[in-house]
Amino acid sequence: MSIEVKNLIKKFDDKVVINDISFKVEDGEVLAIVGFSGSGKSTVLKLISGLIPYDSGEIITSEGDIAMVFQYSALFDSLNVFDNISFALRERKDLRKKYSKNDLQNIVSQKLELVGLKGIENKFPSELSGGMQKRVSFARAIVTKPNSILYDEPTAGLDPMSSTLIEDYIVRLRNELDAASIVVTHQMSTITRTADRVIMLYDGKIVFEGTPSEMLKQDNPYTKQFVTASLEGPMTMKA
Amino acid sequence: MSTLKKYLKQSATYKLYLHFESYFKDILSTTGNIVQLSIHILKCILKCEINFKELLLQCDRFGVSSLPITLSIVGMTSIIVASQVAHEMVKQGGGNFVGMLMTILIVREVGVIMSGFAITSMIGSSLASELATMRVTEQVDAIDVLGVDSVRYLFVPRVLSGIIMMPFVVILASVVGVLLGAFTSNLFANLSYRAYFDSAWLGLYMKDLWVSILKSAVFGGTIALISCTCGFFASGGAKGVGLATTKAVVWSFIAIVIWDMVFAILFFF
Ligand SMILES: Nc1ncnc2c1ncn2[C@@H]1O[C@H](COP(=O)(O)OP(=O)(O)O)[C@@H](O)[C@H]1O
Ligand SMILES: [Mg+2]
Repeated sequence: MSIEVKNLIKKFDDKVVINDISFKVEDGEVLAIVGFSGSGKSTVLKLISGLIPYDSGEIITSEGDIAMVFQYSALFDSLNVFDNISFALRERKDLRKKYSKNDLQNIVSQKLELVGLKGIENKFPSELSGGMQKRVSFARAIVTKPNSILYDEPTAGLDPMSSTLIEDYIVRLRNELDAASIVVTHQMSTITRTADRVIMLYDGKIVFEGTPSEMLKQDNPYTKQFVTASLEGPMTMKA
Repeated sequence: MSTLKKYLKQSATYKLYLHFESYFKDILSTTGNIVQLSIHILKCILKCEINFKELLLQCDRFGVSSLPITLSIVGMTSIIVASQVAHEMVKQGGGNFVGMLMTILIVREVGVIMSGFAITSMIGSSLASELATMRVTEQVDAIDVLGVDSVRYLFVPRVLSGIIMMPFVVILASVVGVLLGAFTSNLFANLSYRAYFDSAWLGLYMKDLWVSILKSAVFGGTIALISCTCGFFASGGAKGVGLATTKAVVWSFIAIVIWDMVFAILFFF
């Protein structure tokens, strides 16, 4: 399923956070969204997933589920890993009575195997490391076989090896589900390893759109400043 | 003109006005949220969309874990009232009415109100901070994105457990209160147990019991609904969780007193 965003505008109170942006993500494509903190990346994902309403514009997604992997995992801390991963299958209206206890066990253990965490069904989120929590939240998000997946800083705060693992899952899921994926990230490794295309947000607008290698060429003043992490350039950090 | 405007905007009166305006807006929007959510919850209950496993867990939390505190508070209040009243009444020749007075007081007011306050401070605050934490850590968003109705999943078992469990808590607390009243009267005013319970029977009507049960169910549902709503709409990290919890307790206390007034007017006026 593809995701198409047209002339999207979002205000919080009177502050324009997303200011007329348009882009499209095809099936089986990974789009990376980069930009400084506060540039509106998470807001774009929340708008697409329908968590918050937008002021004007259009978001067109074809049939199917949208999954989201949250910035801080957002695992249900009162539920164990099994209940976390099987949550949608147990609680969603259209899926509720479809699966037996046995089915659920099979599905959960298969998803856990996919993210390399076999046999931790009975652990609680607080007993897991940050990287493991991220991977469990991955498993939880894809349990309904979504047609599009939104990742909010999936590798932020992870050690390099965990980051690589997550990046591999992103690519693998794109291939397996033929999903349209959007990855919000600060990390160059995540961009180069996963993304087919990159857009850069600044002040609610798209200031760059291209492939990762075009981004690295640094002929756009915005991406140049981002890639070199320079304080000099068109973008200023706002408090 | 513009300097006058600027001056006005810096004045304390204007700041006070702004303060009240935001206060007033908050009251309106929270009330709106509560009404909207109750309709949603009612629909879920009528369609029997209830997670019974979760309901059982919440009932245990609402009704069982809170018992020690609720019983102590109602019990101690009864001891205080009896110790003040029994001696005085016996001295004035009204010993035969102590049991009646205590029972009516406890069944109609003390048992319900004090239980309500105890449950609010214990369960209401924990419901609010739980949901607020889930909100600010994006767990509520995660429920929504997974396609699950977060109001059905979070509110229905909690509010229902309040409605179901509160009457049991109040009945138990009232029994403890009446018994401790008898014990205290006996100890402080030498009033016989027989005289106390004879007059207690005389003074108590079935209507008092029914109203008490109905009232406690309403209180329980209200405490759970208000606390969950305040938590559900929290925002802004740890500070937001604290604010939501405070708001839940204050609003629940006020709601309890208002409901109590409504019941007093409806049933005993
Ligand atoms: N619920 C909200 N209410 C008000 N302002 C918000 C809200 N969510 C985000 N913002 C503001 O929108 C801007 C973009 O936020 P966000 O999308 O989280 O940025 P990013 O994910 O790129 O760091 C920030 O300035 C933030 O303060
Ligand atoms: Mg963000």
